Amino acid sequence: MGVDTILTDGIVPAQVRRRPESLLQVDQLSIDIATRDANVRLVDNVSFGIGRGERVALVGESGSGKSVTAQALMRLNSRVKLSGRVQFDGTDLLSLSPRQMTAMRGQRMGMVFQDPMSSLDPLMTIGDQVAETLRIRGVSKREARQRALDVLDELKVERAAERLDSFPHEFSGGMRQRVVLAMALVGEPHLLIADEPTTALDVRVQERVLDLLDEISRRRSLAVLLITHDLGIVAGFADRVMVMYSGRIVEENEATLLFAEPQHPYTRGLLEAVPRADITVDRLRSISGAPPAPAARPSGCTFHPRCDHAMAVCTSVEPGETITPLGARVRCHLYGEG
Amino acid sequence: MTLVLPTAAPRRKANFTAYELTVFGVVVALFLLALIGPMIAPADIYTSNMLETLLPPSAEHWLGTDDQGRDIFWRLVAGSRLSLFATVLVVILYSIIGMIVATLATVGPRWVDELLMRITDIGLSLPGLVVSLGIATVLGPSLQSGIIALALTGWPMTARILRTTMRQTMEQPFVEGARILGVSRTRLMLKHVLPNSLDVLIVKWAGDISFTMLILAGLSFIGVGAQPPSPEWGAMISGARGYMSIAWWAVAAPGAAIVINAVAFALLADILQVRRDPSLQA
Amino acid sequence: MLQIDHISKSFPAGRGQHTMVLDDIVLNVDEGQSVGLVGESGSGKSTIIRCALGLTRPDSGRVSYSGIDVHRSSRFDTLRFRRDVQLVFQDPYASLNPRMTVEELVSEGLLVHKLETTAAGRRARVVEMLAMVGLGEEALTRYPRSFSGGQRQRIAIARAVVIRPKLLICDEPVSALDVSVQAQVINLLQDMQKQLGLGILFVAHDLAVVRHLCTTVAVLERGRIVEHGTREQVFDTPQHAYTQALLKAVPIPDPAVGRARRAERQLAP
Ligand SMILES: Nc1ncnc2c1ncn2[C@@H]1O[C@H](COP(=O)(O)OP(=O)(O)OP(=O)(O)O)[C@@H](O)[C@H]1O
Ligand SMILES: Nc1ncnc2c1ncn2[C@@H]1O[C@H](COP(=O)(O)OP(=O)(O)OP(=O)(O)O)[C@@H](O)[C@H]1O
Ligand code: SF4
Ligand SMILES: [Mg+2]
Ligand SMILES: [Mg+2]
Repeated sequence: MGVDTILTDGIVPAQVRRRPESLLQVDQLSIDIATRDANVRLVDNVSFGIGRGERVALVGESGSGKSVTAQALMRLNSRVKLSGRVQFDGTDLLSLSPRQMTAMRGQRMGMVFQDPMSSLDPLMTIGDQVAETLRIRGVSKREARQRALDVLDELKVERAAERLDSFPHEFSGGMRQRVVLAMALVGEPHLLIADEPTTALDVRVQERVLDLLDEISRRRSLAVLLITHDLGIVAGFADRVMVMYSGRIVEENEATLLFAEPQHPYTRGLLEAVPRADITVDRLRSISGAPPAPAARPSGCTFHPRCDHAMAVCTSVEPGETITPLGARVRCHLYGEG
Repeated sequence: MTLVLPTAAPRRKANFTAYELTVFGVVVALFLLALIGPMIAPADIYTSNMLETLLPPSAEHWLGTDDQGRDIFWRLVAGSRLSLFATVLVVILYSIIGMIVATLATVGPRWVDELLMRITDIGLSLPGLVVSLGIATVLGPSLQSGIIALALTGWPMTARILRTTMRQTMEQPFVEGARILGVSRTRLMLKHVLPNSLDVLIVKWAGDISFTMLILAGLSFIGVGAQPPSPEWGAMISGARGYMSIAWWAVAAPGAAIVINAVAFALLADILQVRRDPSLQA
Repeated sequence: MLQIDHISKSFPAGRGQHTMVLDDIVLNVDEGQSVGLVGESGSGKSTIIRCALGLTRPDSGRVSYSGIDVHRSSRFDTLRFRRDVQLVFQDPYASLNPRMTVEELVSEGLLVHKLETTAAGRRARVVEMLAMVGLGEEALTRYPRSFSGGQRQRIAIARAVVIRPKLLICDEPVSALDVSVQAQVINLLQDMQKQLGLGILFVAHDLAVVRHLCTTVAVLERGRIVEHGTREQVFDTPQHAYTQALLKAVPIPDPAVGRARRAERQLAP
């Protein structure tokens, strides 16, 4: 399996690269929220696709709109206004009724949230919580329990059979995160959206959880949208990476290429700003300033106040999308045809 | 990054509902009235006019007259300064006592804290009204006695609430940071702990005014607070209760004035509470 | 300069039992030296810091600063200790008094230690210090809430460094910051250390940051220091299995490394 992993990721020119059959297609998705004072656009015209069994990462800093996007795909946040199109397996998600959407969430899309503790009910046993999705769907009690046990086994929760009847507080952080994953996976979804599933965990536990996710996604041919702010964990996991800045996707490419040849100044800056544990450098390059709040987004290219390459046009004109020769989908005037 | 950062939110712009604005308006009006009332009231409200005793409400005397022939409406207006300001004074006085007690309990060694909190507990468990009645009687019936009596019995709740909050503030990293910087205990309290703990009292103050106004009027009514012919509202009720059966308005009007004030401040307290804790918002 | 000498600490864990949180810790920081202390969550990093600052008393052992016993010092010595050793917290949102302006915050140390007796003198020092951390004079009258996390952390550093301490202790000062801002603060700490000859005790769970900033590194595993050496020793030729495991698990932003590691793990379970 290891060899296979390495071979599939050779650099292939963009034109001949084979895309897996599309599972999720997001077109021009915008997310607005009405606050007391004004209408604020949290996510602006985002388009992307995820193929069957593909692992895609959405990377961005705090407040860039990752969680809001994930919630929008699942139609979880009723306070925001969505526009655009979200096609999942041929169904337009934004036009589904709430009931149809609930069914969709239980069976075909699963989601893991940022904080493992708050997504578990402290008063319910692990077994019941994992089986709940199935019970709602009318699966018999015994079968649901058996399938919950199977998933927990698959996630390598030791002595799973005994622990079905324990409560969340008896579990360590890493184990809890596995339970949360089990809850999302028990319905055998085609797509798993994982919103910072490992942020609260120590590196060794994080690694183990990601390995499990990697294994399951291959075995089940499960598509994963991994949301994180950590470029490091993305590198070993994702096939494709999207970089989000201030509510827009500014760069998207195959993981190998994105890390080897980052195109957008923000992506480059991020990669240079992260200290590495494997090499010593004299001084880190840093990006000046800080990410803007959604209500105070700069004009033109939202990155221009922090960009070393900013030109006159950047302050007023929002860059459109360009595909570079390396296959990167970039929003930056440096790559515009003019 | 998953930190939830409450303080990072931009300060919410004041964006008040019509209901809130109405309550604020009424409270401000009550204060203004208290301020200018005695100046605009005609002078004859302090003198008897035996030709016009116990007249029912009419166009000339909106709320009627009392047994001395004095206009009740204007007496209420003139008396609002006494009633409201005496109330505010009581609240300020006992808040200061409560603050001192809470601060000493927070900075002091364990035994000081224990001692002060036991005293506070005793204060809380005594029937406040009865004790203030006693104190006021001993001091001799007058408005001042009423104020002193209520100030001496009102502080325990403030002290207890404030001490709890100050304890929590003491745990905040910025307080620890100030200690590491070498800040003295006095400065630590005055500059770091107290200012970040007083928030709880603001909400309490509005409620306290409402409550104290009733108690203060109660003391006057029983006869140990302000004495007739003072236009303090409790005293007005007290003075009029003898002829209540033939001139109900002389009792009802000051009663209504007290209720309006008390309710206005209670509503204000409610609004402040909700504003401070957005989770209570509908 | 700072000597942590065989300290141990346990906390009550209910039913009359105790959990050992620190076990025989030895750690020194010399003048101008940058020492990193890495460990997972709950390993006792913050407890070491609290002991070093005299806020928590260890059960046994001794913490001394330039010969002063931190836990048994006279009033005068304490004041000197408070001037020489400062702390930067993890959470820049809770570590600044929300009701003080930046000027008040940064000048408080000068006032308390009577380093500048006039308001004008203090202001000049504050402005100079703010410039050093990259903030302008217009910041003086603003309150912490109007600053971003990275800016607040600079204010916190300015507040700690303005009294020219000899040792700056940092408890995960960048882990709450955005990735693009984190590097600014790391660079700032590095500059401070070079320009002012500041000693730094840098505590973190992020090995990459420690590698970048510290020349000496100690690895803490459940209250015990399992490895202690120079940066190169610890990172390039780790001796202890725990250090090796930690280093192997640090994510590296390079797909080739990531995949090779995963393949290795899958082949050898
Ligand atoms: N209910 C809401 N009301 C107003 N603004 C909101 C709301 N929910 C989210 N936002 C704003 O939308 C932006 C994007 O938030 P989101 O939670 O998607 O960020 P994120 O990329 O997931 O960041 P993090 O890494 O911190 O989780 C933020 O600036 C946030 O303040
Ligand atoms: N006052 C206390 N009472 C009881 N237990 C405590 C106390 N302070 C710390 N502990 C325990 O000591 C252990 C070490 O805590 P400490 O905060 O030093 O860890 P840390 O390495 O700083 O972790 P983190 O990375 O999560 O900040 C933890 O298990 C904690 O629960
Ligand atoms: S569009 Fe201009 S400002 Fe924006 S990233 Fe490209 S060069 Fe920089
Ligand atoms: Mg998020
Ligand atoms: Mg800690």
